[in-house]
Amino acid sequence: MPHLKTAYAKYQNDSGVAFLLVSIDEDEKRLQRYLNDAKFPFPAVRLAIEQAERLMGFDNVPSTFYVDRDGIVRYQVSGSESHGDSPSRVSWYIDQLKK
Amino acid sequence: MHRGLLVVAAGAVVAIGFAQSDARDQFRRGQAAWDQRLSKSAIAAFEAAARDPSTAAEAHESLGRIYTFKGWLQEGTFPGWHDEPSYRDRALAELKASLAANPNRTSAQEALRVAEGFAAAEKVDSSPPRAEIKAMDAKIDSYRNASDAAVADILAAIEARTKAQADPAPYFTGAQILMDRGEYDRAVALAEQGAKASDRFIDENLDAYQMSGKSQGSYARGQATALDLEGWALFLKKDYTGAAARLEEAERLIQGQDFANEFHLGELARARSAPERAREHYLNALSLAAGPAPLRQAATQALAGLPAVASNAGDFDAWLQRELARRREERRQAALKSLVDRRLPKLPLMSIDGRPYDTSSLQGKVLLLNFFASW
Repeated sequence: MPHLKTAYAKYQNDSGVAFLLVSIDEDEKRLQRYLNDAKFPFPAVRLAIEQAERLMGFDNVPSTFYVDRDGIVRYQVSGSESHGDSPSRVSWYIDQLKK
Repeated sequence: MHRGLLVVAAGAVVAIGFAQSDARDQFRRGQAAWDQRLSKSAIAAFEAAARDPSTAAEAHESLGRIYTFKGWLQEGTFPGWHDEPSYRDRALAELKASLAANPNRTSAQEALRVAEGFAAAEKVDSSPPRAEIKAMDAKIDSYRNASDAAVADILAAIEARTKAQADPAPYFTGAQILMDRGEYDRAVALAEQGAKASDRFIDENLDAYQMSGKSQGSYARGQATALDLEGWALFLKKDYTGAAARLEEAERLIQGQDFANEFHLGELARARSAPERAREHYLNALSLAAGPAPLRQAATQALAGLPAVASNAGDFDAWLQRELARRREERRQAALKSLVDRRLPKLPLMSIDGRPYDTSSLQGKVLLLNFFASW
């Protein structure tokens, strides 16, 4: 997910935008290693895979949700392909919601 | 004057004696609770015992052993249980506290050595089931095919097992065995006890589930299992109203995802001359990838015999496969259903090490939520 890091650079000083990674890993050690290597500049948390699938209703990992200021999900992007590796796609969604 | 002092001194000795026996009682309470795997009660009792010098070393060691289990050994030991890595440091700290209270305590030295080994290991295998519990479960199981066994013996075996370990499984197994023998009222009573035991067991071990937010699902599953057993026993007693209330509540709790429950609802609908409802429940059951082969066969046969099916299906097998495929697809679609334009559900998020994560700082912001896995 290097594109998320790149996209985040644009918003890191914007207090109106937050990025949150939600891991559905079962294996904490492996997750910790991954996070240590990746050094994301935004927080990462965990959610059980069953809960994530039930509450968020996605069947593809990764899945990205863009939520507006009122807590309404506005875009759902499934998988990394359709997201492209393009930070501009990420910022397009965010900029729509910032309007 | 001297006499007075002596009385005061004797009083002090008695007070210390009381405190010691109280600490000893707490320690024993902790042991009894932990034997039953009632973690919360065990920890509270051992913590109390650890505050008294007379039992500090052994109580700290017991806490260290519980936390070692929680931190490294409990993955999958009960349905929905996970290791709780946040307990690992506490395990080491308690074992060290035990040795600080008594440096010569060899059992604590040994426990600390084991825990430090776990801390250094890449992977630690879960704790295997305890032999004495396995033996008791096997004994209860043996009654499944012992139709001449006295009911009192079966109940005694269940009671012994639930005293040894407080999870609800023996109540549910026992309810099924008694139902098979036509002891419907006793089966209902056991299932009700199982429902209580299920809630208590989850309460006592809550953080074993919280690691992956499973406690809510576990509560619902325990209650649904009990209600389904009760409902089925009432059905067999021909109390269809009582059966319907319980079977339908079980279905709601388990969200229609349990084979036995759907099969039971099908049988109930058939008995109440509601063939269309029966057909839906049998099809729901068969579209779930679960259920023992004899029950699947029974569901298929019952389905084939329904008037609502016989009239519109020339080739039953082809029709059945079409119907099951349609249901599986519907379930898949429902799971896929997009959240777009709907409120973000409240998510029980955890920090990486398993503590509840406070999302209040995210409120009022445009949020990018990326669900990922490191694999």
